Amino acid sequence: MIDFKLFQHPQRYIGNEWNVIKKSHNKRIPICLCYPDSYEIGMSNLGLRIIYSLLNDSDDIVCERAFFPGEDFNNFLLNNNQKLFSLETKTPLANFEVLGFNFNYELNFVNFLYILSLAKIPLFSRARKDLIVLGGGIANPESLADFVDVFYIGEFEAGTASFIEVLRKYKDKKSRLEALCEIEGFYVPAFYSAELKNDKYEFNKIYSYAKLPVKRTYVSNLDKSHYPLKWLTPHTAIVHDRVPIEIARGCPNRCTFCQARAMYYPYREKKAETVCRIIREIYKNSGYENFSLLSLSSSDYSQIEELIDILFAEFKQKRIGLALPSLRADDILGKLYSKLHLLRKTSLTVAIESANDSLRNHIGKKIDIKKLFETARLIRTFNLKHIKLYFMIGFKEETEEDLRAIGLFLEKLNQETHLSLNVSINVFVPKPFSLREDATMAEKDTLLDKINIVKNGLPKRRSINISISPVEKSILEAIISRADRKFSSVILDVSKASCNNRNAAGNWLIWQEAMSKNHIDCAAYLKAETINFPWSFINTGLPECNLKKHE
Amino acid sequence: MNEQRFLIKAVIKKSDEMIYFSQIDLGLVLERALRRAELPLYFTQGFRPRVKLSFSRALKLGVEGEEEVTFYFSKNITPQELQEKLKKQLPHGLTILKIIE
Ligand code: SF4
Repeated sequence: MIDFKLFQHPQRYIGNEWNVIKKSHNKRIPICLCYPDSYEIGMSNLGLRIIYSLLNDSDDIVCERAFFPGEDFNNFLLNNNQKLFSLETKTPLANFEVLGFNFNYELNFVNFLYILSLAKIPLFSRARKDLIVLGGGIANPESLADFVDVFYIGEFEAGTASFIEVLRKYKDKKSRLEALCEIEGFYVPAFYSAELKNDKYEFNKIYSYAKLPVKRTYVSNLDKSHYPLKWLTPHTAIVHDRVPIEIARGCPNRCTFCQARAMYYPYREKKAETVCRIIREIYKNSGYENFSLLSLSSSDYSQIEELIDILFAEFKQKRIGLALPSLRADDILGKLYSKLHLLRKTSLTVAIESANDSLRNHIGKKIDIKKLFETARLIRTFNLKHIKLYFMIGFKEETEEDLRAIGLFLEKLNQETHLSLNVSINVFVPKPFSLREDATMAEKDTLLDKINIVKNGLPKRRSINISISPVEKSILEAIISRADRKFSSVILDVSKASCNNRNAAGNWLIWQEAMSKNHIDCAAYLKAETINFPWSFINTGLPECNLKKHE
Repeated sequence: MNEQRFLIKAVIKKSDEMIYFSQIDLGLVLERALRRAELPLYFTQGFRPRVKLSFSRALKLGVEGEEEVTFYFSKNITPQELQEKLKKQLPHGLTILKIIE
């Protein structure tokens, strides 16, 4: 038995959360869900919890978890020649039949390879005999095509049952992959060739039963879809320490830079009645003192007022906190005003993106700034600690005036609300499947110039805190998210570098070195294109996706 | 607000995996266990009310130990009721050794 008190945050490695599921592996198919980030971040991910609970619902499946270890625990494993193991039964990852990875954040791709090497599992798909690595949550899977045996494109709840069926029926890797590739949503990269010929990606099937295009799948009835009612409750604080209750998935808006609306398309809602039932059940099972209503845009949820009324009445007595993120500024003034000060909420978030009306229209963000100012006085009555604001810069059509407008806007808002403002300024990244996937990413120098203009226009007040996303990190996100299969060698090299330097994945120079060593011209990934991308073999089911394919 | 409150003191033992949890964590674990047990809770006042609890001392991380915990309730419940209901909701490694008063 390892003495866990040697490590910082020993709770991360124990696996004794309330409602944890521990089953013997005897006569069961063992699957481990691995999150390529820390325990605290991974445990805040709803998808991981849904799939953990859904897989464990089958008696003949045992599903466990593993996370990216802290530095001290990592060193302990290396020094003692131990392999990374799961939380629940401390089984080495190599002894599972399937490892599932969540790839929702590009900079974690390196951690994924690192986890495999820490578990002493071959990194390349072709080098693994039986174990299957399943990847999900990813938009463009191509840069990981050499390492992952099968990706699930879309919402895995829709494919879980058929996945389990295949695992039951077939026992070796080859027949499992062959069976999976015939099922909608499963993408086995080894069954396709993807080549760049005369500046155009050509996708072909190598295995004739594979599907092309690969169609993204989704849950058709969100109201009836599985929810993890036996809520895994850590005995310690995690990043978002509240239970997120999904009220809707997808987004009816069309902000052009947004990838989430494509990843969660189409817009679906759970009935208020269902939401309440889920909350009551989870409270009974977990005793959690904080809940939040989760959706991309809660203002668009059709029963929002009704839902807040019911929940507020129930929660008051039990002193349960309720948070409502992702509100639109105009709703504060409108239908939600009377409800909002019922909520125990200490901050308000407004994704405003641009301080200029016409640019905002251009990028599809529907926010009425005039209304926000009209609301200012009301906001003052809410007992808020601060307002969080999100801006985005780096659009081609943006002018110097637009950039300077950010500072003027913040000054005015600060004056009128007397509240401190936490401002995030992000750089526009043309992500796959967003309406602007065909835009060119602004170059580093241009972005730095733009940031300087913004900075010079910012009011110097202590009550305004600004954080600007590092330009190099945004460019890196763009490169990795848009890369093709050749890029896998770069990810491999950076992951090797991270054995000696834990911060390698965040270090631009290390990436740059790896790219030049592997003769990768990242500019090619970032230039404007029309319909020809490494991810063009995927059909998201979005109306514009179908249109393009027929052009 | 002058809500009535009723106190029960108990001795709780921390052992096995629970030795790795800090004193702050312990408060959280007990609060959630009490909520699950559906006992008539007494809350702290203020903007972010919590279930009221107090501890005689802080237990060290990584070693077994016992400590006195004071529970506060909004209704008078018997020590037996507390013991029976809470026992079912405590994770392995936390035990109610005895009720003091
Ligand atoms: S950015 Fe726009 S499209 Fe994307 S989720 Fe938010 S409101 Fe919806």
